Amino acid sequence: MEGRRIIYLLMILAVAVPVLFGVSQQPSRLVSAERMYDVVEGVSVRPGEVAMVWFDFGPGSIAENEPQATVLIEHLFRRRIPVVVISQYQQAEAFLRRIPEEVAARLERENPGQTWRYGEAWVNAGYKPGAAIYIQAMVNTPDVSKFLGRDVSGMPLTSYPAFSSIGGIEGVKMVGEVTSLVGVFDNIIQFFQKSGYRPTVVHGCTSITIPEAYIFLDSGQLNGLLEGIAGAAWYSEVLKKHFPKSDNQRLLVTNTALSMAHLMIILLIIAGNVAPLIGRVLRRMRG
Amino acid sequence: MRTRIIRTATFLGGLYFFLYFVCPDATIEALGLKEGNEPISNGFIVIGAMAVGLGLFNLVAKHGTQLIFKRQGWPFSLALLLGLSSMLVVTTGQWIQGLRTSREIRAAQVIGEFATRIVDDAQGFAEKGSAGVKSIGVDGKIPSLKIRVGALQQYTETQIARVTNQASDMHHTWSNQTLLAELHQSAGELNFAVSALGTISGETLGAADEQTLKTFSQAAAKFSSLYSLVMRKESGRGLIQRLYDLLYQGVFIQLGSAMFALLGVYIAAAAYRAFRIRTLESALMMTAALIVMLGQIAFGKHLYEGMPALRQWLLEVPNSAAFRAIRLGAGVAGLMLAIRMWLSIESTSSSSRKK
Repeated sequence: MEGRRIIYLLMILAVAVPVLFGVSQQPSRLVSAERMYDVVEGVSVRPGEVAMVWFDFGPGSIAENEPQATVLIEHLFRRRIPVVVISQYQQAEAFLRRIPEEVAARLERENPGQTWRYGEAWVNAGYKPGAAIYIQAMVNTPDVSKFLGRDVSGMPLTSYPAFSSIGGIEGVKMVGEVTSLVGVFDNIIQFFQKSGYRPTVVHGCTSITIPEAYIFLDSGQLNGLLEGIAGAAWYSEVLKKHFPKSDNQRLLVTNTALSMAHLMIILLIIAGNVAPLIGRVLRRMRG
Repeated sequence: MRTRIIRTATFLGGLYFFLYFVCPDATIEALGLKEGNEPISNGFIVIGAMAVGLGLFNLVAKHGTQLIFKRQGWPFSLALLLGLSSMLVVTTGQWIQGLRTSREIRAAQVIGEFATRIVDDAQGFAEKGSAGVKSIGVDGKIPSLKIRVGALQQYTETQIARVTNQASDMHHTWSNQTLLAELHQSAGELNFAVSALGTISGETLGAADEQTLKTFSQAAAKFSSLYSLVMRKESGRGLIQRLYDLLYQGVFIQLGSAMFALLGVYIAAAAYRAFRIRTLESALMMTAALIVMLGQIAFGKHLYEGMPALRQWLLEVPNSAAFRAIRLGAGVAGLMLAIRMWLSIESTSSSSRKK
């Protein structure tokens, strides 16, 4: 019982110290995040065309998925690509509203005189029930703007000039899926395409689903991947390299806290294996 | 009889989506399914949404009974029902407020659309009528140009007055005045554009009139866009929105995150107690796990510079091969399960098996 309490305490300290004291470390270089940056950089849109980013996460994976959603939206906003934020998961509703607003406010502070406004830079299409059926219907519609209908505040999407003429799914140039749910991500991979057209697909996954996401990256069905918070942290570093004013300090602190937790787990695994070994050797030496 | 209906509906539903997915576009169009797919899909989504209502009804019935008869664990039922009802009340309030706000925004948005419509109608008549003549109000259904422009002027003036009054009320409570100042300025520009409409007096739309309406339309679009931003910010400051934020962001998200954060400490305890090297397989697994973890954190590259690259190789090569095999197996199993469900031989509720 005591041993377990010590482990719990060590774990809490490993996470809390970097967060409380704002300790940050340079994140590990992740090639996948760099590739994703290039993929997003390569997306080009003409007037009327958009990127569609699905936030399919809830409070359970907020620590990893929220930073991923933030860096992806930041990059798209910086590139002035109109973004439709949408969800297949009802618990993501609050994030659909908060994340783009926070990113827009930060960018406006960083670039006085420039604006990123709702209805121009992004719209919030809200939670859409139906999952795979909804996506299948969307890819077959001749007019995505009309299909999406109204945004969360009840305004028709067609009333926003930047989002009024998306046309068929060919007008959705990039799809981002930020989720911890494997089935939800599968819906995008399987159904967000039609004969002769597949948009650029990027994905932010939690650390636990990284192994599964790699098979789609390898097959080319997925064009970019953010691996957990470590992926988001490296992506933010790449963003910072191109936009030096970009503030990623909070993300680096969170990533450092998670790195400490990983390190603690590694040390505990080693201790868990070495301790019995030492015990056995000592018992043998005593006779 | 009921079983037969369920089986038939399940089979037909499955058959429709299967055929729609595998048939070429030309066949789908020949069968006339292209236009019908959207309403059919919406129908399925509605049925799915009804399940949520059913779940809600079941929850209330089950926990309501628990609470009324004070059965074991009734305080938990009370907590659930309180949470459920407060969230329902607040989200319904938020929805109603959203509808009200969007109605107000829409009332301002139609100004520009009205002006564009006048120009479009005139161009439409010009295409139908004799070349070069842009006349409206000829078929008796659409009022004359003079009446329409007059109505547009009157409506715009009403909207400008309403919006500027609203903005003046907000003036005292807003900390950021920039947006309000922009709105006032655009209202002034729109006012100027309204007065310019007075020059359109004839029954036909000349090139100069068309330009006046286009300029007016642009001013109206800017005005409505700014008004939409102001209203969105204002509704975000309202009591209902604050209550929603308190319940959702302040309680639900925090509790949910805290619950999942507990996993971290359990994983740490499990790592110490259960992750023991006893066989070659467990040694291989632990080595792979350590490399993947070390490659993902900054500390790893201090131990070995190539750690991230090694991690990448592990994930891209052995992991992908293994996972693809797992997914293939799971896919075949999923297909079998789907076929059994499609033919209603999976569920005992719809099969003919009886107790």
